[in-house]
Amino acid sequence: MSFKYPVVMPKMSMTMETGELINFHVAVGDHVKNGDVLFEVMTDKIDMEVEAPADGVIEALVANPGDVVEIGKPVLIMLTDTEVMAFDFGTDNEPVAAVEVVAAPAPVVAAPVAPAAPVILNETVKAVPKARVEAANRGIDLRTVRATGPDRTITMEDVNGAQLDPAIAKRQAANKALIAKGIEMTRSIAQASFTRSVNANFDHATFIAAWAKVLRNRPDLAAHQHVGVALIIESKYGSALPVFKDPDQLKIADLAALVASTTDAAKNGKVPVAMLSGATTTVFDLTTYSMSSATPLLFPNQVTSVTIGYESATTKIVSLTIDLNFCDFYDGALLLDALVASL
Amino acid sequence: MSDRMLTMAEAVREAMSIAFDERPEVFLLGEDVGIYGGAFGVSGDMYHRYGAERVLDTPIAELGIVGAAVGAALSGMRPIVEIQFSDFTAQAMDQIANQAAKIHFMLGGALHVPMVLRTPQGSGTGAAAQHSQNLEPWFASVPGLKVVVPSNPADAKGLLLAAIDDPNPVIFLEHKLLYKIPGRDPVPEGATRIPLGVSKVVREGKDLTIVATGIMVNKSWEVCEKLAAEGISITLIDPRTISPLDMNPVFESVEKTGRLMVVQEGPAQAGFINEVIAQLAGSSSFGSLIAPIKRLAGMNIPIPYAPQLEKAAVPQLDDIEAAAREIVKNWR
Repeated sequence: MSFKYPVVMPKMSMTMETGELINFHVAVGDHVKNGDVLFEVMTDKIDMEVEAPADGVIEALVANPGDVVEIGKPVLIMLTDTEVMAFDFGTDNEPVAAVEVVAAPAPVVAAPVAPAAPVILNETVKAVPKARVEAANRGIDLRTVRATGPDRTITMEDVNGAQLDPAIAKRQAANKALIAKGIEMTRSIAQASFTRSVNANFDHATFIAAWAKVLRNRPDLAAHQHVGVALIIESKYGSALPVFKDPDQLKIADLAALVASTTDAAKNGKVPVAMLSGATTTVFDLTTYSMSSATPLLFPNQVTSVTIGYESATTKIVSLTIDLNFCDFYDGALLLDALVASL
Repeated sequence: MSDRMLTMAEAVREAMSIAFDERPEVFLLGEDVGIYGGAFGVSGDMYHRYGAERVLDTPIAELGIVGAAVGAALSGMRPIVEIQFSDFTAQAMDQIANQAAKIHFMLGGALHVPMVLRTPQGSGTGAAAQHSQNLEPWFASVPGLKVVVPSNPADAKGLLLAAIDDPNPVIFLEHKLLYKIPGRDPVPEGATRIPLGVSKVVREGKDLTIVATGIMVNKSWEVCEKLAAEGISITLIDPRTISPLDMNPVFESVEKTGRLMVVQEGPAQAGFINEVIAQLAGSSSFGSLIAPIKRLAGMNIPIPYAPQLEKAAVPQLDDIEAAAREIVKNWR
């Protein structure tokens, strides 16, 4: 049984509304395999290759190179035997309605299409060892790097061609400047942790917004021009760290909806690729594990990290780790104090 | 003269002769090593030069031969044993693995066994499963044995002299197909020794590191030459002594090339060359790898009698060439 499947303009960043089709890598009648590049898209932020979500045959090219296409609108139509393929491009895990091919000549497109297209988060990244070393050194999230090696393994060429988050690049330049001034960067030693008990109930969105607001007042603690709060979400696929950018500037209801949908997506192994970079701090909720506290680990290029722990039905424990290369104990105490007060 | 091109059989004979001349306690024993000159002609005319007391023809009884050598070594002699085919060491394994290898340790160092056991190994002669094995891992897995696998006449001479000097048992595995062919390098005159436990960087390149043992060093060399013409430059490392194993050149090379291929004749499963992979994988050089490690080894089957199947059972030139080209091409 063959299904028509429209491959749409994906949503590749939070702000993206349209994308320009650069060119097609396929022609009508081509047989493609899952993962083959179908076309290239340009946005104000990035260029990206869109891959075939399943094996199939190209039935029609709907857009033309140079066209500016709204997200969710079809770019080409594939015929496929794979029913589940729509899943990969759906936002809410709802399969895009697939149209069964009938004998009558099929009208072009018209299938209802999901509006946004989160990119699949690779649950396991395959990379050659040196690529991991290189990515760690340069602050590159390997999950965002396109793999061109055998068996979809990330090679050195892939990592060397990867774009470094400009915020991280700036931070690294700042680090170098510190080192040049003779300030030693022994990150593993030079950190301190603080813990406070909080008599309040709050959800993740409230907490993320409160923490972002506290950090907003301390731009010196991040070279970034934004506040990016990474929330660690555990699933059977491993840990995902979607980043909520400037969450304190969203309406709390919108943020709550975004946190909820992103958490669901992450638990299914999917996070929009645009949400995988730009973290300036990290939050880990331990209450799901009934744990009270842990020493939050500092991630590379971040100065702060917090955990939420369980103390009792009405009280929670908030722990903060700071990097002493960038602030002192007093700063840490003030930060935690401000966070607790705003909760 | 510095340009003497000897075969490995000649080089081994020369080393034994030098040791015979240097030390009266050195003697050779084995099946047909005397009047016949050795099954592969290695002892040659030594019987006539040194007499029946120092070049002993023995009965066909490997356990007895090695047992006699261990006893002689314990009482001050320096025996060189030749076992006609390495496959037959199975008969003598108790003396090799349980006696020779352990006496020094079990007696608190009070006694030791300065014995060298030379034996031809390997496939390619159409001699079927019981005369064609490569048994490197049998010996390399016994602590207390040193294991030498020379790949060329010059190394064979220098390493054998060092092995005879060694106060503890050394297993010296010579490949049959190498006996009759001259090496690439001349064999130095005189008693030049090559220390055990030092790997040799045979050639240096920047794209790939190949570690190979015995005859596979020669095959890999030819591949290196061929691929050099295509612009692929390869570092070739010959451990020469597989126990103790000197990994340092391998670490240093992989840190430069980022790619490792290992080649051995023996079966892949639990083969010696796996040790090279394991040590690399557990080292800080692991992070230098830009490609999965490639292993070429024999199939996990007894060596077949039919010549075509015998060839297919162990890595050949074409296999090494294709694998080397692929790893360099696919992983950048």
